[in-house]
Amino acid sequence: MTYVHPIHDAPKTFLSKYIISFDHKVIGKQFLWYGIFFLGIGGMMALMIRWTLAYPGEAFPVLGNLLFPHTNGVVPPDTYAMLFTLHGTIMIFYAITPILIGAFGNYCIPLMIGARDMAFPMLNMLSFWINFVAGGLLLASLFTPYGGAAGGWTSYPTLSTLIGSPGVGQTLWCLSIFVLGASSTMGAINYVTTVISFRAPGMGYFDMPLTVWGLWLTAILNAIFLPVLGAGCMLLVFDRVFGTHFFLAGAAATQGTGDPVLFQHVFWIFGHPEVYILILPAWGMVSDFLSFFSRKPAFGAKSTALAMTTITILSTVVYGHHMFTTQMSPLLTQTFMTLTMTISIPSAIFFANWLGTIWRGSIRFDSPMLFSLGVVFVFGLGGLTGLYLGTVSTDLYLHDTYFVVGHFHYTMAASVLLGGFAATYFWFPKMFGRLMNETLAKIHFWGTMVGLNGIFFGMMVLGYAGMHRRLYNPFVYEFMQKMIPLNTFVTISALVMGVFQLVFVYNFIHSMLKGEKASDNPWEVGTLEWTIPSPAPHYNFKEIPVVKCGPHEFGNPNLNNGRDFQYQTEELVKA
Amino acid sequence: MMNFINSLMTDFVLSVESSYFLSPTKVITTNGAEIDKLFMYTTVMNIFYFVLVCIGLIGFSFLYRKSKNPKPYYTYGNKKNHLIVTLIVGLAVFLSIDLNITRMSNDDMLEHFWNFPDHKNEDTIKVEVLAQQWMWNFRYAGKDGVFNTADDVMSNHDLVIPVGKKVEFRITSKDVIHSLYFPNARLKVDAIPGRITRLWFQPVETGEFDIACAEMCGTHHYMMKAKLKVMNEDDFKAWNNEAEHLAEVGNDGSNLDNYWGWKWEAE
Repeated sequence: MTYVHPIHDAPKTFLSKYIISFDHKVIGKQFLWYGIFFLGIGGMMALMIRWTLAYPGEAFPVLGNLLFPHTNGVVPPDTYAMLFTLHGTIMIFYAITPILIGAFGNYCIPLMIGARDMAFPMLNMLSFWINFVAGGLLLASLFTPYGGAAGGWTSYPTLSTLIGSPGVGQTLWCLSIFVLGASSTMGAINYVTTVISFRAPGMGYFDMPLTVWGLWLTAILNAIFLPVLGAGCMLLVFDRVFGTHFFLAGAAATQGTGDPVLFQHVFWIFGHPEVYILILPAWGMVSDFLSFFSRKPAFGAKSTALAMTTITILSTVVYGHHMFTTQMSPLLTQTFMTLTMTISIPSAIFFANWLGTIWRGSIRFDSPMLFSLGVVFVFGLGGLTGLYLGTVSTDLYLHDTYFVVGHFHYTMAASVLLGGFAATYFWFPKMFGRLMNETLAKIHFWGTMVGLNGIFFGMMVLGYAGMHRRLYNPFVYEFMQKMIPLNTFVTISALVMGVFQLVFVYNFIHSMLKGEKASDNPWEVGTLEWTIPSPAPHYNFKEIPVVKCGPHEFGNPNLNNGRDFQYQTEELVKA
Repeated sequence: MMNFINSLMTDFVLSVESSYFLSPTKVITTNGAEIDKLFMYTTVMNIFYFVLVCIGLIGFSFLYRKSKNPKPYYTYGNKKNHLIVTLIVGLAVFLSIDLNITRMSNDDMLEHFWNFPDHKNEDTIKVEVLAQQWMWNFRYAGKDGVFNTADDVMSNHDLVIPVGKKVEFRITSKDVIHSLYFPNARLKVDAIPGRITRLWFQPVETGEFDIACAEMCGTHHYMMKAKLKVMNEDDFKAWNNEAEHLAEVGNDGSNLDNYWGWKWEAE
């Protein structure tokens, strides 16, 4: 079955070219800027949180007096709660999602499958601008009386109902997540449709680069589960504004039989797949990059794709491990524990395939490769430490401690961030027609690696020692007195990591304006986006390409065209 | 600015010197050590596999760098022996870690943590706990042994129990979700409005220990702490007699606020 590719004329005005653009490449860049902006805000919030934990009662340097004049620059306790709530919300929904899924999903999917644009360009444009509205709602909540949401990014009722959070801030938070859900669902439907319908002739599912696999599976999870979160947030808005009692119970309820735990079920049935929503694109990219820069085919590419699919399916049936301490029935607890454990089979297959890919390769250590190897390292740590939390009895101790914080930052923050940086360095030439500075990229890599391992490993040690989460001043507890030095260490690591991100920002902006001009295919890779000029022209492909081989054709000994790789449009040379 | 950086450097050196690897608080219950044991087992297995990953990652990166190995090995990794190796890795991890810790944890839960004390045939302590922003309320049945009567012993912040006896807590919350967290028992359970959750342990050491709230419950979440006082049998008896007496003569039977307890159901 063939579909008509949506064709729109090249835009002429500034407005149609850069603002209300239907072009997936422009929308991708819009998402990239948007995500990097929020990454900065979320990162700044993280530094304020860390400062408070290392130096309780001391003014936050430089910005403190400006932001908190009433307390002489010290972060006050209610603001602290807002900071960690919005740090989580912003990083997950407004930084990582826009960068990994919004930016690279948009930019890469059509180019890598040989399409001229997304299946629904208008929906794509709406997806960005509705996301923009959601971001505005979230930032607006900070300027309401009583301030923004302060119930944690999970916003469990009854803390997030009027009992625990009066004021408009929490309502705006719920609405912003609802609106964002609508935006992401639009994007997701678009991605799923595009991948199914617009693959270039000859491209079977297993001929797609693994990046597209990751983005596609993410989109499927997004389309299924974000509406669930949206529904939960709407019910919360009903409880807050219209006086319903979906989540109220006990002494706080005046009538009806609601249940606060109901929200946790709704939240985590979305929340666990969300973890995979964030990490799947990075997995896909890393699987590709390891092959590209080892100059050999991805080891077990098919089994990697199938393992990703397996994890996608499993991720929908394990969410109960977030709720062990609510004391579900023992049968349910045992079931969730056992199902959670099965995830390590596909995960172990990933690692075997990743290491298999670099085994006997001819490895080039360009910046995307360094970041990909970094992902394998930090995801190894993050994945293995998940085992303690999927086990009921150790989870009873570690739940809601910094061990959890360290663990999920390793999987969701460290891995995804490094994956996102790898992708940025890799596709930057195609996006802007220029190369990023390699030396600065390598400095950025090592600084980030050292910083983030200091932060997140330190956090896990703190959690194992018993320090729990979301404390304004943990040292009011006697047993945590001895943890002050380690908290200081974590904070200094965070400052180090923060400083090295400035290198990235400088490199990004400088290279965009004055970087070395990139050739059409600077990394010597055979996937479809490298068959066209850099930066990619408005219509992507003059003629829709015909795909004749897989995306990882490197190092074929019978190749005699002077290259060590084949484009996907070339007939496979028999080995 | 220089001063600021200097002080950061000093802090950094001090912090590295004094923290190495922090150990958790002392275990004071009969079963808390089971959780530490499981933690250690998982850690040993994790280190084993993580070292393998690192050897692969760093070793291959070193051995097969471009300058050393210009010709890569052309393979899709779909040969029979490749598939077998991949499958073995997957199954080895699953069998050696996952199945074992699932089994061990399940045994622990069934034998200990879900195996609640039999109040009929054992000499036990029963405590009802009400969490509220930002305070823990504890309630003992008092002289008549019935909860929610005028003679109940009530205590805020201090939880007094005797060493060597099994203690069962039944927990609920008045306003938002809290979580009753005993770092020294390695246990926590949520306090949820409209539900009663349960927790038990048997202390084997006397002393004073921290009790914390582990679930975000509002601005002063960090201040919601209490003290666990484990006394020897005689001290506890003396404390209990006095507390029961004070409750009998001191509790205002007409104050409805004092009746936040509930009937202790057998199961």
